[in-house]
Order: sequence, then C-alpha cells, then structure tokens
Amino acid sequence: MGTNVGLAPMVDSTISVITNDGRVIVGILRGYDQATNLILDECHERVYSSKTGVEQVVLGGLHIVRGDNIAVVGEVDDEIDQGLNLSATRAAPLSPVQH
Amino acid sequence: MLFYSYFKTLVGKQVTVELKNDLAITGTLHSVDQYLNIKLNNVHVVNEQKYPHMMSVRNCFIRGSVVRYVQLPPGSVDVELLHDATRREARG
Amino acid sequence: MLPLLLLKTAQKHPVLVELKNGETYNGHMVQCDSWMNVHLREVICTSKDGDRFWRIPETYIRGNTIKYLRVPDEVIDKVKEEDYKRDEKRPAMARGRGRGRGPGGRGDGQSGGRGGAPGRGGRGRG
Repeated sequence: MGTNVGLAPMVDSTISVITNDGRVIVGILRGYDQATNLILDECHERVYSSKTGVEQVVLGGLHIVRGDNIAVVGEVDDEIDQGLNLSATRAAPLSPVQH
Repeated sequence: MLFYSYFKTLVGKQVTVELKNDLAITGTLHSVDQYLNIKLNNVHVVNEQKYPHMMSVRNCFIRGSVVRYVQLPPGSVDVELLHDATRREARG
Repeated sequence: MLPLLLLKTAQKHPVLVELKNGETYNGHMVQCDSWMNVHLREVICTSKDGDRFWRIPETYIRGNTIKYLRVPDEVIDKVKEEDYKRDEKRPAMARGRGRGRGPGGRGDGQSGGRGGAPGRGGRGRG
C-alpha cells in the first residue's frame, strides 16, 4: 500500500533466500505473492560449514517456496558474488528461526 | 496500523533489524508494508565473520514474521507523537 | 507470475513436496487448492534423514505443513502459454463484441459463421 515494499524489482534477477530452517538458497525469482510464496528457478543451495568451505548443491529446476518458511530475500549483486571465495569461506550454518 | 504508520516515518533512516535466527542486519530503511515486512538498502550483517551468508547482498527484503527487534536511531523517536498516536488508536 | 498459478498448472505432473518436518513426498499431483493443500497419487515418502522410504498409493497434504515444492521445468512454459492465450482472448473477445457483427454478418453471407462461433466458444471454456 503506497510504499513499494514488494519483491517486484527483484523479479527475473538472482536472489538469495534465507529460509526458516537456516538454509541459503540462490536462484532466479520468477514470481511471488502477498504471502511471500516464491517461484525460484535454477536453484542451488549454499551449504555452509565451519570445517570445510561452502558447498554448492544444485537443486535445479523450479521451486515454489512457501512464504511462512522464508526469513530474508536478498538481491544478489553479481559483481560482489563473483568476487567471493566461497570455497575458503568457513562459517557455521545459520540457526533455524525460533518463534 | 500504528506501527506501520510509525515505521513509515523512519524511511531513509539507518536501522538494525534483529531476526529470530539471531542474525542482525543493518541498513537504510527503504520501505515497510502492512505485514511489517521491511526492505533495507545498503545492508551489512552485524558480525560478518560469524555470518558471511549474505556477503553478496546489498538490498534485502525481511519478512515481518521473523523480526525480533528493530533498533531505531535514538534521535528519531518522538515519544510525544507516539503517545498521541497510541491514544488516538485506543480511542478507535 | 503467481506461485499458486504455477502450482495449479502443475496438476497432473510429478512433483516433490518437502514438509516443514523434513519428510519429502514424491508423486503425481492430482489436485491442489489456493491454500496449497495438495492431493498426490503413487507417492514415495522419504524420512527426514533420507534413510527410510514408504510407498503410499494416495496422500493429501495440508498446505501449511509444506516447506517447498518442486515442479517440472516445463510447467512454467505452460503457464506462460496459458497466459498468452488468455491475453490473446481478452482483446479478441472485446473485438468480437465490437466487430462481432462484422465477421458474423460476413459469416451469414458466406456460411463462414460455422468456423467462428464454435471456435470462440471452445477457447472461452478453456
């Protein structure tokens, strides 16, 4: 209403989604609705670990992610993203959301 | 609707949003909607060493349902105005 | 594009559903509704750790227990196709009303009404 808070500007661009169970999923946003349900295309998951670097797991294909399972939707800056050295990044996985 | 209206007055200010997964994100408040979903610009995560999960993200959308706290810039809280608005809301 | 429209279009296709409790269900989607409740047939259920499997002939999943669904890639093209048809149809119907008498009249003249009317009717139902 009035303010442009929607995800419209992110449609068809690469986004990084943090889900309530602590996963990080990167994909192309194809659609969304009021409830923050998302359509994600060409997804992969970035699995963080404090022992090894970030592992990229291809999930592939089209996913419909339910809104109540979503915490953050981030616009991926491709330039920064390509500059990241993920295999050298060590971090514990994010904690799940606890309401 | 009170908090929605209130947050709208903070657009453009620097805020820190703490999530229910303990992640804290600082950025410029871009917008808010009726669910108190929040959009931040130019974000950085507090304690990026521990939380490098959003390093390539500059702008983000945070779902209202996962927000634990929003830390506001101290100077931008007009207590009188909030009191008035609260009373008006209570009166209906 | 709306997620629920994509889901609706995925009816009669194989889908994967992961629930919030970590179980996954693979099966053919018979039906879904606007709450994301889904009805699957010929299902393989996998436990959270992925070490146990069950074959289930039929299952109904309440939408709010779902974490995400995976649908076949071609479904998105199907949505676009149907969108396109709908877009095409709307102005066509408007035109139909405006010019309807035009082609209709001509149709009467040359017994061409035959093609027009049933064709349009068919699209209308689809």
